[in-house]
Amino acid sequence: MAELSIDQSFLERLERLTLHWQKSFPGLVGGHNASRYSGSGQEFLDHRQFHQGDDLRAVNWRVYMRLERLILKLFQVEPRVPVRILFDVSDSMTTGEPSKFDYARKLAGAMTYVGLVRLESVLLQPFSDQLLDPLQCGGGRHRFRPCIDFLEGIKSAGKTDFMGCVKRFIAEYPQRGLVIVISDFLDDQGCEKPLQYLADFGHEVFLVHLWADEDRVPPYKGEIEIEDAETGEVQKLNFDAEAQEAYTANFDAYARGVREVAQRKGGKYAGVTTSTPVEQAVFGPLLGGGR
Amino acid sequence: MFFLNLGLGEFLAIWGAVSGAVLALYLLDRSRRKIRVATMRFWTPSEKPPEAKHRKRIQQPWSMLLQLIAIGLLLAALAQLRLGSPDRMSRDHVLVLDSSAWMGARVGQMTLLDQAKREAILWVRSLPAGDRVMLVRADALPSPTTMFANNRQATEQALLETRVGGSAVNLKATIDFARQMQRQHGSGLGEIVLAGAFRGHANDLPSEKELPANVRLLPVKADTRNVGIRKVTLRRSPADAQLWEVFVAVKNYSAQVEAVPLAVTFGSAPVGSARFTLAPGAEESARIEFRTKAAGYLEARLVTRDGIIEDNAATLELPEQKLVRVMVYTRDPALIRPLLAANRWLTASYALPETYKTDVDAEIVVLDRFNPPVKPTRRSIWIAPPVQGSPIAMLSPAKNVKLTGWRNDHSMAAGLRSLDLKVEETSVFAPSAGVSVVAESEVGAVVVASKDAAYLGFHPGSGAMRLELTAPLLMANTLEWLAPEVMRRREVTGESVGNVQIPLERGTDPGSIRVLGAGDVAVPFSVVDGTLQFYAGERGMARVQIGSKEQVYSLSLPDVAETVWDVPAKVRRGIPRGLTDSIASRDIWQWLAMAGGLLLLVEWLWFGRTRLPAVQQGSTSMVEIFRRFTAPFRKAS
Repeated sequence: MAELSIDQSFLERLERLTLHWQKSFPGLVGGHNASRYSGSGQEFLDHRQFHQGDDLRAVNWRVYMRLERLILKLFQVEPRVPVRILFDVSDSMTTGEPSKFDYARKLAGAMTYVGLVRLESVLLQPFSDQLLDPLQCGGGRHRFRPCIDFLEGIKSAGKTDFMGCVKRFIAEYPQRGLVIVISDFLDDQGCEKPLQYLADFGHEVFLVHLWADEDRVPPYKGEIEIEDAETGEVQKLNFDAEAQEAYTANFDAYARGVREVAQRKGGKYAGVTTSTPVEQAVFGPLLGGGR
Repeated sequence: MFFLNLGLGEFLAIWGAVSGAVLALYLLDRSRRKIRVATMRFWTPSEKPPEAKHRKRIQQPWSMLLQLIAIGLLLAALAQLRLGSPDRMSRDHVLVLDSSAWMGARVGQMTLLDQAKREAILWVRSLPAGDRVMLVRADALPSPTTMFANNRQATEQALLETRVGGSAVNLKATIDFARQMQRQHGSGLGEIVLAGAFRGHANDLPSEKELPANVRLLPVKADTRNVGIRKVTLRRSPADAQLWEVFVAVKNYSAQVEAVPLAVTFGSAPVGSARFTLAPGAEESARIEFRTKAAGYLEARLVTRDGIIEDNAATLELPEQKLVRVMVYTRDPALIRPLLAANRWLTASYALPETYKTDVDAEIVVLDRFNPPVKPTRRSIWIAPPVQGSPIAMLSPAKNVKLTGWRNDHSMAAGLRSLDLKVEETSVFAPSAGVSVVAESEVGAVVVASKDAAYLGFHPGSGAMRLELTAPLLMANTLEWLAPEVMRRREVTGESVGNVQIPLERGTDPGSIRVLGAGDVAVPFSVVDGTLQFYAGERGMARVQIGSKEQVYSLSLPDVAETVWDVPAKVRRGIPRGLTDSIASRDIWQWLAMAGGLLLLVEWLWFGRTRLPAVQQGSTSMVEIFRRFTAPFRKAS
């Protein structure tokens, strides 16, 4: 069991942060982000015509006495929205130095802590070719220890299957909310469609794209034999500076595609290299919201 | 040309192994590197065809050749390749010059030491200029005179300043010392050159097995005749204090029979003579007696002219024998006279008690059955003092008293154990502080001793006591306790310098032994198997005190050894020819190392620079960069 090292000073800095989303989600009162959906809030939102079935307690009777029309008074609500963190534990995450897998777990731990401090309901959902056993946590910073134990107990295995995982996720968690996906987004079947599907369903997606430096710019030259970490497929090729440039261009184009998917439906994207310390990444690209 | 540190075979084997390893590393580096990647989707092969189609062939033969040559040069530098012949390399020699007593023997106008010096100087001058020499003077102990140096003038000066010593050579220890010096300080192993006769004691000469292979002998012509005094012992006769006995031991070191007269003089006056006829290697001794009570010098001289004159004469100093003067105040001297007359180290005077003086001219005062008005200032013996006026507390006199014990820890009671003695009449003492009890009876202490006086409760020369052996022993012990310096027995021995061995009597307490050298400085000694041993490196006096006995050793005779060294056949002899004409071998390892380094630099400038990987920030570990940089053959992409 690999131990996650998150020191106390980093946690203290995390307490000043909060998870923020832009979409309006319906839900029960208790959150801290305002929603465009009306509810049982305190602040006035709007008026609308009464329709059959509306709650008579919300009718503005003063307006009715003056205009003899049934007008409802709507109030703004700050609903309680679920936060779900999907993080990739497939074999492709184990390549690179330092390991993307360890990096993803630390990032997930840091985000969970931010959510717990703000009394959010956080779901930690590992996935590879399927959804693995999740951990639902909430109730404040004192519930952080089980999250760390959960993250430390996870092992990397399997291929990445975004489509299968997204379908299963939507089926299991119909309530819309903030979905943070931490992955290298390397799926042979492509990840654009499933991510689009996730966004179209109504979730606000925040894609945290991880890569190691050698994932983007391979430092190898000459004749090499590469082996796919997930499939085991082997390919022999001659790799030179031109091939390296082409590789980097391909990678950047793919990362741009992932970014577009995220931003197309108002989501966010943050690209993080594992050579960046986790603390620096949290207070850098992630704090900036990926813009 | 030769290797100092390796043989040719070893050099080739190591070079071959290193070259093979380099070739293997090259071929290993040329093999495809296996890399585990996260995905295959971004990888596109280069459009250029691979440069190395045949990975098992050497692609850059010049690079490899340069590296192999450079490795060979560096290895040759480590192996210290030298120009010249192995025989002509700079070496470190130890020159051992025999400075033992035998080297003082004359052959014609020269001594053996002069011959050895001449041979040693010729040998030193025959050496190549690069060779270094350490000079060691050898007698009983090897003494390094110069350190390893190629200053020939200093070495020759040290040779010329060498003088004959007084002891025999210990060649075994000297060769061990020379080997140790060569191991510790020498660079190139040279020879151990022995210049001299090397005549020593049998145990000090090495056997053929104990000799190293690099020994060379510069022999001297040692065919000389010599007869010498081995030992002179001088002691007083046990029966007569003024009679001296002289024992002289003479040895013939020559190869023919020698007849030599011996003359003994005391204060230049002849006191005896003897004549020896000695077979080759024989040793005889003569005993001569003479009478004197004066101090002076006794000389034993062999009247002959032979090789070594130092062992023809020995001079001993006779100490003056002082006699203890005893003043006896008694009315009945006949009772005491037999007790004092038995001791030859004293003279006794007798007087009546009425003539008593406190400041009498004597070492010991005897007071027979009376108490003087004033205590004597000298050491005193009180015999049966009356109760009235006694200097120590006394009880009433007793009659027919039986002795019950002797305190043998006191010197006065040493050796006295008679317990069935009956004393007809005795005074009884009441010992107080500062008074030691010597003998006890059933009624109390009958013999006691204070700081400077002995008190006998009974008269040892009267009654039945005069017939007992205890009486004279008690008197002798009492006198020796009161005047120990004068009573000490002395022997004088003339010995040779070096290791002195003295057999001890059985039961001798090692704690009672003292060995004093010149100026009464303590000399270290050891007692092994009942023999006292000490070493005297120079001529002089040594005094050995064992209890009350003192032996004076006059170490004036040279220690002339009796055994001629039988030189093994494997030992090289004489001065080697033609060494100075040859050119000494020369070190070239510095040039080889520089050439090797230069070749590596050229190879790196020519081929290696392009092997360096492009260092991208944060993408490649330093270990990887270093590994790639040091990979011997990696073709540039």
